[in-house]
Amino acid sequence: MLNGRRLRNLVRSLLVVVAVVGLLASQASAQGERLVRLTFYYPVGVAGPLARVVDGMVQEFNAEHPFIEVVPVYSGDYDPTMMKVQTAVRGGNPPDIAVVEISEFPSLLAMDAIVPLDDYIAQHPGYIEAFFPAFLDNSQFEGQIWGIPFQRSTPVLYWNKAAFAEVGLDPESPPTTWAELADYAQRLTVRSGTEVSRWGVTISGGWNDWLFEAFVRQSGGQLIDFHGREIKFNSPEAVEALGFWVELMQGLKVGPPHSTWASTPPDFVAGRTAMLYHSTGIMTFLKSSADFPFGAAFMPANETYGAAVGGGNFFIFEGIPQENKDAAWTFIHWITSPEKASYWSAASGYVAVRADAYELAEMQDLVTEHPEYLVARDQLAYGHGKMMAPAYQRVREILKSALDDAQAGLVSPQVALDRAQEEMERTLRSWIQGR
Amino acid sequence: MRTAKGNLSPYLYLIPSLVFLVAFTYYPIFSSVYISLHEWNLFTREPVFIGLENYAILFGDTLFWRVARNTLVYVVGTIPLTMVMALVMAILLNERLGWMRNVYRVAAFYPTMIPMAAAAMLWVWLLNPGIGLINHYLMQLGLPRIEWLYNMDWALPAIMLTAIWKNFGYFMLIYLAGLQNMPGELYEAADLEGANFFQKVRHITLPLLAPTTVFVVVVGIITSFNVFDLVHLMTQGGPGNRTNVIVYYIYQNAFRFSDYGMGSALTVVFVVMILIVILVLMRFLERRTHYEV
Repeated sequence: MLNGRRLRNLVRSLLVVVAVVGLLASQASAQGERLVRLTFYYPVGVAGPLARVVDGMVQEFNAEHPFIEVVPVYSGDYDPTMMKVQTAVRGGNPPDIAVVEISEFPSLLAMDAIVPLDDYIAQHPGYIEAFFPAFLDNSQFEGQIWGIPFQRSTPVLYWNKAAFAEVGLDPESPPTTWAELADYAQRLTVRSGTEVSRWGVTISGGWNDWLFEAFVRQSGGQLIDFHGREIKFNSPEAVEALGFWVELMQGLKVGPPHSTWASTPPDFVAGRTAMLYHSTGIMTFLKSSADFPFGAAFMPANETYGAAVGGGNFFIFEGIPQENKDAAWTFIHWITSPEKASYWSAASGYVAVRADAYELAEMQDLVTEHPEYLVARDQLAYGHGKMMAPAYQRVREILKSALDDAQAGLVSPQVALDRAQEEMERTLRSWIQGR
Repeated sequence: MRTAKGNLSPYLYLIPSLVFLVAFTYYPIFSSVYISLHEWNLFTREPVFIGLENYAILFGDTLFWRVARNTLVYVVGTIPLTMVMALVMAILLNERLGWMRNVYRVAAFYPTMIPMAAAAMLWVWLLNPGIGLINHYLMQLGLPRIEWLYNMDWALPAIMLTAIWKNFGYFMLIYLAGLQNMPGELYEAADLEGANFFQKVRHITLPLLAPTTVFVVVVGIITSFNVFDLVHLMTQGGPGNRTNVIVYYIYQNAFRFSDYGMGSALTVVFVVMILIVILVLMRFLERRTHYEV
């Protein structure tokens, strides 16, 4: 029990403790070393366990930097992350750092939400030059760099070697052209009557807009010219690409017209599809789940190989104190070092964003053992920046609906893309006129 | 003075709830109407007054009509089935089944207690075309495999199926409560007259359950119109907007596309639509309902 005197003593000693702590804290700030706390929104685009990897890296950073505390906030998939960022910026309470899907860059610019990073980059000679150039396409505007690549990928073609062997195809040679793809897919499709128990090739839904962009690039076209402010949804190359899809799905019936992004990797693992177009980000999941040998290859070529890069970039936000911006840069610079980039790549299957990461010993070991990890990197030679425009979420919905309708065989590729083009021009009227 | 004070005090007591109503219901409604008359999106820093243009765009947009149609299909498709299942189960479970009755009651009510997100993910796997249990059993029965959530025609029915499974337990509970209040004399009288089970249900139970049914219909319509979570978790409105419903479309416009003007216009249209449906329905049902026993 506390009697009066013991209570008084307790209060007195508490007061002393409070005073001493206060004194220490004020001394620390007198030296200019106050704890800076940073809010960091990050998405995980493909698989949940990666959240733990990010948290682990953040903890390591915090331990090494006593005066910076990064608070990681897992914000779901890419779309919810952008929504959280938009809401926070509109509400005047932006995060300090966020990893945002790269096509959202123009929307962030339109909202005046982010700061250019050139002054910081200039502090570290040779830093930005180490990044793969294709990864920087979605960071540049008016001669400045606004975003630093982090979790970056390209789509690749996965193929089931056991299924190839079963139908008499060479398990070590994936298709390299559209014609071969169509041919192999027909041989790999297993049906009984009208029932399909194994598809030849699945072009994943959900982000089919991103995969579609790769096919358009393979035909030598482009969907949006960001710097020229031009929409090219119904270009002949785009119509050709969509025509090929419809041929696979409706003509030859060797691929499912629709699917979802999350369910196709399990489909591949379960043997429901012999070939799969998906992100490199699922490589680690496939490795741990598939009980058959599989490979990853360049997406087959039409006129040329081609891919649109994808993934998320780091951004530092406007409207936070200068010391937070500086600390945010310290964090971004730290986590994109060659060591961290290679660790992150190995843990996730994402492409390490800088070439020098592949020279490190542990990365060398990994790629010697699993050469699949190099496929996406090498495909970067044919990689382009991802299409982007302000209000990208709507752009994506418009393109996805057009693709979905054409894939179902409801409208012809030309009509679907003409409609999408018209809708895009209406939606982005003020942006196009601003050129 | 005394009379004035006497007149005032009821209003004083109402203030606390009024504050919440104004802050969270009336203010947002009027503010939605106000914003819906403005262009306010990523490109406009401040709202710009444009009169009814948002509504004009909306009603000229084929996607809006598809979304409205999806919503109606969902409402009309789920409510009758949910109600019939709830009613049949309630009447059966109100009979004397011994100790098994409680087991059945728990089993029927169980889906309602599962969090919506968990239920949605569960059904995503059950409905998976390749490895899902539902297709497995369909094939065992010699029926064709269905692509469910991948398919433009089957995706919405698949979501409706999940909703019915998830919601009927709640309405069953309400019907059960209504059944427990039934006066026993009527059934005794019916027994003396030699009425069988179905005659009793037809001539006593159903008429007396009418007030409960009105409640169930109204609540059912409001919850069905408001469907969002299942769509968001299972299909995100796809494929090709075949499962996009009005609340999800509002969410897409306001929060994903940051088009606050259009989102607000949609909200206003939605509220008016629900009000009309409920008013018509109340008129129609009340004429047929006897509240006095």
